[in-house]
Amino acid sequence: MLRIEHLTKIYGDKKAVDDLSLHIHPGEIYGFIGHNGAGKTTTIKAACGILQYDSGDIYVDGVSIRENPLACKAKIAYIPDNPDLYEFMTGIQFLNFVADIFSVSVQDRQSRIRKYADAFELTSDLAQPVSAYSHGMKQKLAIISALIHDPKLIIMDEPFVGLDPKASHLLKEMMREMCDRGGAIFFSTHVLEVAEKLCDKVAIIRAGKLIKSGTMEEVKGDTSLEHVFLELEDDHDKNTI
Amino acid sequence: MTKILFKKQMMELFSFFWQDKKKNKNRTGINLILSVVMYLALFAVIAVMFYIVAQMLCEPLLEAGMGWLYFALMGLIGIALGAFGSVFNTYASLYTPKDNAFLLAMPIPASKILTVRLSGVYVMGLMYELLVMIPALIKYFMSAQPGVSAVAGSIWVTFVISVFVLTLSAVLGWGVALISAKTKRKSLVTVVLSLVFIAGYYYLYGKAAGLIQDIAANPQVTGEFIRGRFAPLYHMGQAAQGNLISILIFTAAVFALFGIVYLILAKSYLKIVTTNKGEAKAKYKESRMAMRSTGRALLGKEFRRFLGSPNYMLNCGLGIVLMVIAAVALVIKADMVTEMVNIIFEGQKDLLFLMAAAGVCVIAAMNDITAPSVSLEGKNLWLVQSFPVSGREVLMAKLKLHLILTMIPAALMTLSVELVMKPSAVFAILIPVAGAVFIFFMALFGLFMGLKMPNLAWTSEIVPIKQSMGVMITLFGGWALIVGLAGLYYLLRNILSPMWYLIFAIVLVFACSIALFGWIRTKGAQIFERL
Repeated sequence: MLRIEHLTKIYGDKKAVDDLSLHIHPGEIYGFIGHNGAGKTTTIKAACGILQYDSGDIYVDGVSIRENPLACKAKIAYIPDNPDLYEFMTGIQFLNFVADIFSVSVQDRQSRIRKYADAFELTSDLAQPVSAYSHGMKQKLAIISALIHDPKLIIMDEPFVGLDPKASHLLKEMMREMCDRGGAIFFSTHVLEVAEKLCDKVAIIRAGKLIKSGTMEEVKGDTSLEHVFLELEDDHDKNTI
Repeated sequence: MTKILFKKQMMELFSFFWQDKKKNKNRTGINLILSVVMYLALFAVIAVMFYIVAQMLCEPLLEAGMGWLYFALMGLIGIALGAFGSVFNTYASLYTPKDNAFLLAMPIPASKILTVRLSGVYVMGLMYELLVMIPALIKYFMSAQPGVSAVAGSIWVTFVISVFVLTLSAVLGWGVALISAKTKRKSLVTVVLSLVFIAGYYYLYGKAAGLIQDIAANPQVTGEFIRGRFAPLYHMGQAAQGNLISILIFTAAVFALFGIVYLILAKSYLKIVTTNKGEAKAKYKESRMAMRSTGRALLGKEFRRFLGSPNYMLNCGLGIVLMVIAAVALVIKADMVTEMVNIIFEGQKDLLFLMAAAGVCVIAAMNDITAPSVSLEGKNLWLVQSFPVSGREVLMAKLKLHLILTMIPAALMTLSVELVMKPSAVFAILIPVAGAVFIFFMALFGLFMGLKMPNLAWTSEIVPIKQSMGVMITLFGGWALIVGLAGLYYLLRNILSPMWYLIFAIVLVFACSIALFGWIRTKGAQIFERL
């Protein structure tokens, strides 16, 4: 569903992402972990087609995002870590706008808005301007807008930040449900316990380079993901010294 | 503690000297000096304007033995400038300061917080008032060569006026807070109030010279009127001339008024700033939705952006209102205009029509809606960039918004011009075509500048709307183009008739528009996608 091949992105003289390759298959929840500034957001933005990269390529459902970005974006939903939404719209205007952009039929958008807004307990706030929303409400609205066109692939940057426990739980359920229907999810997180419980596969990135990836069992073995992550960080620090 | 809080308040108030709001960093060295010099120069220019007013009033009133009227009038101007100049600052600093929760959480009495906040309002009002009163005092000292009592009285009155300005500002700020809390359609109300304010300002500005001349010519009439109906103003003027009784009356009245307002504020301040009544929540009711094309959805988004921001409407769409006003005024004053143009353009009707086309363009050039539209995407840019829409589609929506909002009032104005001036058949076609081509060019030029000079890292939308180089170049560039074309006509007037010149200008601007249009759809779209 998402194939990242030898991705390299350079800012000035710093390699933010260095020859990174990942393959996310349909039905997989793929976690992406790493310390701050490791290159997670850069990779995610490149995968969504909102950041140009220097070399390598990214394919969504077999289509190169460099060559045909619009076809790829039609299959993707992206939720950034800090969803800055149009504050001059109300919640329902925003959802309708996104549905128009993705050409979602009236029937589908109506039923999906009803389903997801009810689930996230946002229905009664949909007539409010987005400017009046709290961070968590904006996050919920961004999630609903991402689900409104029934994407094949959802790419999320720190999706659980700002969500209340109930919404967090609901999002995890929806992620699993979507992947069970053949979709795929690629998301970054700092919450290793969530990644461990939720993800089928995980990739650990350090200073732009992929240092470990595979199924959850392959990566963590008999220990915890937190243990593996900290050990890898330690090794890297020693090697650097 | 009061000293520390006062220092904080002053730092906040004068931060515009050393903080660059565009770059979000402090100015240092030469930049700081330039900033201070720039602001001082600005203050000096305004003070010179009021010195001219003082000069027109001072000597005639002194000669008539009505020095008090001079101070009453200049004081009144000082009060108006001080109170109205600082009213929005008063509202923001008294009722909605960002550090309210921070200060209230500390062991600081609420009365002390209020006093410090009021000190900021006072200094701001004083600054505005002094722009009027310093030139007024200088002129008075030079012309009247007053004695010690009048010098002391006039300086004392200047100080007491500043206390009155503070009182008035506090009351007006409370009024703004009340309107703001009760109003649902804040954008619309702000735009309407601002337009009324602008109209009032220009009305008074237009009348000011005549009014001052009337007062200078007949000071007795004005004096009697003020003395009879506005006793506090009379005492203010007398106090400034050193009249002890008036000093006492005026001072006591102002301080008593301030005392009452302060007591009311002190009593309710904590309650006001800690009570969040909130607004009635709009209840969502599911209704039948409609599906729109991508283009219409993007255009709808641009409309909402424009209509949701008073700053955007007032600064970039003022031409809409002016074109409608011009159209209506032209029809109302049709007889006068016809008579006037018949005299001025006798035997040169074609030149009149050429100028009419230029007039339509001049007002239409006041709309620069596309110029800040790219920068206004700001932190929301990720949305359109992650959607399956091309940069070209997004840019075309911005272009359409400008064209719709400018073409419709321009058509109304053109219709009005044609009804009143009755051009020949050829000019009846050429004038609207010239207007349409020029508006098309301006929309594209604004978009071009927006793409060439984007600023997506703003924290206040006023930065891309008002303080960006791209917007400035677009606005003044439009007028410069009209002036340039007028200059070119002057050079070619013996070669080309007004009609042929207008055709030439239309073709020239249209050719530039086509080139810009092509650039925006290709290179411009690529730039937008990579921002």
